[in-house]
Amino acid sequence: MTVAEAACAVLPAAAPSKADQKRKLPLLPVAALLKQQQTLTAVERFAKLHESPDAPLHEKYYRDLIPLERPKPGEQYAFEVDLDLCTGCKACVAGCHAQNGLDEDEIWRTVGLLHGGSANAPAQQTVTTSCHHCLEPACMHGCPTKAYEKDPITGIVRHLDDQCFGCQYCTLMCPYDAPKYSKSRGIVRKCDMCSGRLAHGEAPACVEACPNGAIAIKVVERAEVVEASNARQFLPGAPSPDHTLPSTRYKSNKVMPANMLPADFYVTRPEHSHPPLVVMLTLTQLSVGAFGLTLAAERLSPATLGSPLAQTVFACAIAVLALGASVFHLGRPLLAWRAVLGLRTSWLSREALVFGLFAQLAVLYGALTAMPLLPPFPFDSLLAGFAPSIRAAAALAGVLGVFCSVMVYVVTRREQWSAAQTVVKFFGTTLLLGAASVLVVTAFTGSSAGFGSLAVKALIFTILAATFVKLAVEGRTLLMARDLRQTALKRMAVVMLGELRAATVVRFALAIAGGLLLPGLWAYGSVRPADPRLFTVTVLLLLAGSEFLERYLFFRAAPASHMPGGLK
Amino acid sequence: MNEVLRRLARAGQDLLVRKDGPYTRELLQAPAKFGLGRVPERSLPDATTTMICGFCSTGCALEILLKDGKAIGLKPTAEYPVNLGMACPKGWEALTPLAAPGRATTPLIKKNGSLAPASWEDALGEMVTRFKAIKERYGPESIAWLGTGQMPTEELAFLGALGKFGMGIVHGDGNTRQCMATSAVAYKQAFGFDAPPFTYKDFEESDVIVLVGSNLCIAHPIMWERICKNQNRPTIIVIDPRKTETAMAASLHYDVRPKGDLALFYGVARELIQNGWIDRDYIAAHTSGFDEFAAHVDGFTLERTAAESGIAASAIRTLARIIHEGKRVSFWWTMGVNQSHQGVRTAQALIALSLMTKNIGRPGTGPNSITGQCNAMGSRIFSNTTNLLGGRDFTNETDRKDVAALLGIEESLIPSQPSLAYDQILEGVLSGKIKGLWVIATNPAHSWINQSYFHDIVKRLECLVVQDMYQDTETARLADIVLPAAGWGEKEGTFINSERRIGVIKRVCHAPGQALADFHIFQLVAEAWGSGHLFRDWTSPEAVFQILKRLSKGRPCDFSGIEDYAEIDRRGGIQWPLPQGAVLEEDERRLFADGCYYTPDARAKFLFAEPRGLPEPTTPDYPLLLLTGRGSSSQWHTQTRTKRSAVLRRLAPSELYVEVSTSDARALGIRPNQVVSVASQRATIQARAFVTQSVKPGQVFIPMHYEVMNKLTFAAFDPFSRQPAYKACAVRVGPVES
Repeated sequence: MTVAEAACAVLPAAAPSKADQKRKLPLLPVAALLKQQQTLTAVERFAKLHESPDAPLHEKYYRDLIPLERPKPGEQYAFEVDLDLCTGCKACVAGCHAQNGLDEDEIWRTVGLLHGGSANAPAQQTVTTSCHHCLEPACMHGCPTKAYEKDPITGIVRHLDDQCFGCQYCTLMCPYDAPKYSKSRGIVRKCDMCSGRLAHGEAPACVEACPNGAIAIKVVERAEVVEASNARQFLPGAPSPDHTLPSTRYKSNKVMPANMLPADFYVTRPEHSHPPLVVMLTLTQLSVGAFGLTLAAERLSPATLGSPLAQTVFACAIAVLALGASVFHLGRPLLAWRAVLGLRTSWLSREALVFGLFAQLAVLYGALTAMPLLPPFPFDSLLAGFAPSIRAAAALAGVLGVFCSVMVYVVTRREQWSAAQTVVKFFGTTLLLGAASVLVVTAFTGSSAGFGSLAVKALIFTILAATFVKLAVEGRTLLMARDLRQTALKRMAVVMLGELRAATVVRFALAIAGGLLLPGLWAYGSVRPADPRLFTVTVLLLLAGSEFLERYLFFRAAPASHMPGGLK
Repeated sequence: MNEVLRRLARAGQDLLVRKDGPYTRELLQAPAKFGLGRVPERSLPDATTTMICGFCSTGCALEILLKDGKAIGLKPTAEYPVNLGMACPKGWEALTPLAAPGRATTPLIKKNGSLAPASWEDALGEMVTRFKAIKERYGPESIAWLGTGQMPTEELAFLGALGKFGMGIVHGDGNTRQCMATSAVAYKQAFGFDAPPFTYKDFEESDVIVLVGSNLCIAHPIMWERICKNQNRPTIIVIDPRKTETAMAASLHYDVRPKGDLALFYGVARELIQNGWIDRDYIAAHTSGFDEFAAHVDGFTLERTAAESGIAASAIRTLARIIHEGKRVSFWWTMGVNQSHQGVRTAQALIALSLMTKNIGRPGTGPNSITGQCNAMGSRIFSNTTNLLGGRDFTNETDRKDVAALLGIEESLIPSQPSLAYDQILEGVLSGKIKGLWVIATNPAHSWINQSYFHDIVKRLECLVVQDMYQDTETARLADIVLPAAGWGEKEGTFINSERRIGVIKRVCHAPGQALADFHIFQLVAEAWGSGHLFRDWTSPEAVFQILKRLSKGRPCDFSGIEDYAEIDRRGGIQWPLPQGAVLEEDERRLFADGCYYTPDARAKFLFAEPRGLPEPTTPDYPLLLLTGRGSSSQWHTQTRTKRSAVLRRLAPSELYVEVSTSDARALGIRPNQVVSVASQRATIQARAFVTQSVKPGQVFIPMHYEVMNKLTFAAFDPFSRQPAYKACAVRVGPVES
């Protein structure tokens, strides 16, 4: 008798319910069977407790797929994918997931599809891909916390999970979409070529899981990788290798038709919107603009912009708010201080440092401006003498900060975030939101006489001009929707006019109303606003709304580059 | 002092850059013993056990990692003659669907239009009372069941015996009808028994491999693995209308016109005969009906064959020559043949090609059917629906007497007619003959051909009982009574795979709530129905296995030589036949080495028929031919289980798509990735266009895993196997959004 049968035999049958008795049904042994159902007996009956050896039994299948020796100087490990053997079963993805103990929906490897050819000779090719353990890892260079290291011997690009504070900048930097954000942990994780397994002579999970032996680990000459990458030799449909020098080698004995395209080539989907970044970028730019334009406008016509202290306090308050917002972007906000560790390579570190400096200098300048309100104290006049230079330094730091913001996105090499696009967007926002907020503070703290000053006129003109230029650039992007070429800007336009149409329409409507119509009427129309306070606040709110949307679209409508994908 | 400074420096560095910590340790791996290699440290097993995967009929073995008797993970078994250490994504994720939401955890009874929890006693009481009432009012043929090929053989046999001998139900069928009925009938007619002759080793031993309507790379990746292990540099020929992944990997692709395959094989047969490339001695010694066959195919001249198959005459000649020159030619087919209005005759054309060239009974040869479900063959032999237990015949009195004696039951309890087929049962519901339906572990509301019709059918039932792991399948939502079942991994039994290998499944997870193994549910139904006395010996799956051994004895599928589950487990699965007293020497065996078949005259039969046109040809209104099939390796059938794994979901397209050829897309004004409508005479659905060269102009392809797809398909059936012809119907495609 088995254990299960024994369990069944000793248990009394369940008492029938009243309904049963009514139906005159026989007694049913429900309780006994439920008990038996919950008894797990595989171990007693079958388990191979000590039969199998401790050495891995799969070794014979992967023996030839991993190198015998560690890389020598000038070499590193690399994935080699034999495309002739990759037939799209995706066991590599599932094997990686299981053997690495990843979260339920977390995957570090993907399988895409290239297709093309002609009606007479159709062609398709499935492609397995993961981290390419690049020679110039963009993820590592971009990381503000030094949470990446490239092993000097194996060349494996490892992510230090406990160092990461979850800014996800590496996910924007990697052209191949290799690092993955784990929301539950608030950190990024990625493929490390199963370095632990390799170190013990075992194959990485994907290598072991491929039924056809299509994935292998090879020792490659770094110089060869550089050579191949510079010659743009990698994989059709993949982002160009000359940026990060990916070490993975795709090989095939077949000749692929020249017209192979990824199956998801025409799929454009909105990306993540990163709300804290939208707020941070827009508000830091507003703050820098307000601070800098106050300085500039005062030169034009002094003492016409209301209370200088109020202007400074407003700019400082927004700066503090913006930096606060940026912390919410982090998966692990308590580690925000690590942001400056990557100063040597990361524009994100530089941005954090410079904006920090800007905020401190601006606040210091504000404090100095407030000194006349305090009772006199020693050296006060001496300190006051520093005020103009601190102000200039703060303004300079602010502009530098915006420049760093620009660079954060430009170095990702996404076409939608090209220098031209990003400079216009970020400095445009700086100018128009800065001008609008200076006008608001002026309306609340200045005299109505000052409102006719040259400085105010210049600020209105700034709004008009910046709005016009920004809308012109974005309008030009939208026109790309009709481009026959499937460029990055066309993708951006397609998403803006497709799934994000509502946001795009509102963005343009608000900008036209707050940046062109109202200021235009004021500057060139015959009608003067009855209440400058209401008027300027309306302009600022319209513009702020419109700029938040512009920045939202900046992120959402910038489809990331990635390895050839499958059908979505 | 230096040491102190160094330590301080290191502490400073550690403070700034943390290379270790809880997150890092989370991904650490450690050696796991049991030959597993390294596994995540937090899921180190204290024991392992082997069981057969519960998805497809490949029958891979999975090593279940156990801790305190419970499964905590798995890895494909390294030493198993089927999968040689590998698994497809479904296998890797086999345990995930068990823990997913949607599980049925308590019996449900429909009250006032919605399903409410009930006790087992009440639910079974309700089922028995209502079924008995229906039977009393409308007669014995008014209740039927629809079963599955996903349950272990012991449960299938229990259901079949309970249904027919215990409850007096006349008609029962399984979803295997949708999958391998055609192969079963083809073999039975030709060989005298439903006996796929091959072993997977044949993939490695062929020098010519012909794959017909079979996208092995996606549907059966582990069988493709075996082809990759072939050291003979085989010529691989794929016959398929689409340029599939497999067609890409093949040496030659024959893009045959849909259902033009039958004419093609007749044309090839004629070519072989004309050139004298046949084995006359073998034909004379071991076959019957060859002359009639030869006369039949004589009409298939190169011109006619080319016209009907869409394959050029020179290519037909090439195919015949390759078959002739091959030393070990194997023919393999899957749903492209089975799901056809002339599937049986097409399979038999492949059998004929094998027989006449003596590509059978030798290593690397055979007309070989690759089927779908994990226990398709267990169902074929023991579901007691079309065939009487053990592959016997209900209409044969001797067979009935044998079974009655072997089971110790009255012969009068055994019906003298086989069940109606799946489509005929549904037809019976429609015409009001069948009023009570018991659906076990299948999802016809999704999978049945021309699906809207199925929903109409269900409305005509007086009682629909659904027994399933999940209470949210399309079918369970329509039920009057839901019985919660334990799934694969929560119960015991055996499966029989495509190469006739019997393997064991085990209980390694706790079933949720009140869910019970189907085996136990059948025990309870037997008691509740009042026929428990017939099943006193059916105490456990392993006890039933012993009964099945007796039932198999003396039959072609004889496995009475297998001791018990432990022996199957120890040997890494055992193929039938293994009669009592036989010594198991080889673990990869094939049939018919001696040229003796199971027909009365021991000869294999040549069977043939005139090809018939498409059941629903294209028209000017519906100018395109819709093909259906497997979409990705991570999706299984109606996705009842696979959609519950986040990983498997991520590996498959989330939206329904339709493959449209580049030239059709251009002509119809369809842009890539655009939403289009696909309309047949029965319904219109929407899908995203994947514009590709891999379908031919005039054809479109939609994967079968999405619910709406079967609203389009046309209900045509093979006349012998009653298997639905899912693969071809006429549609119209047009853009929806601008």
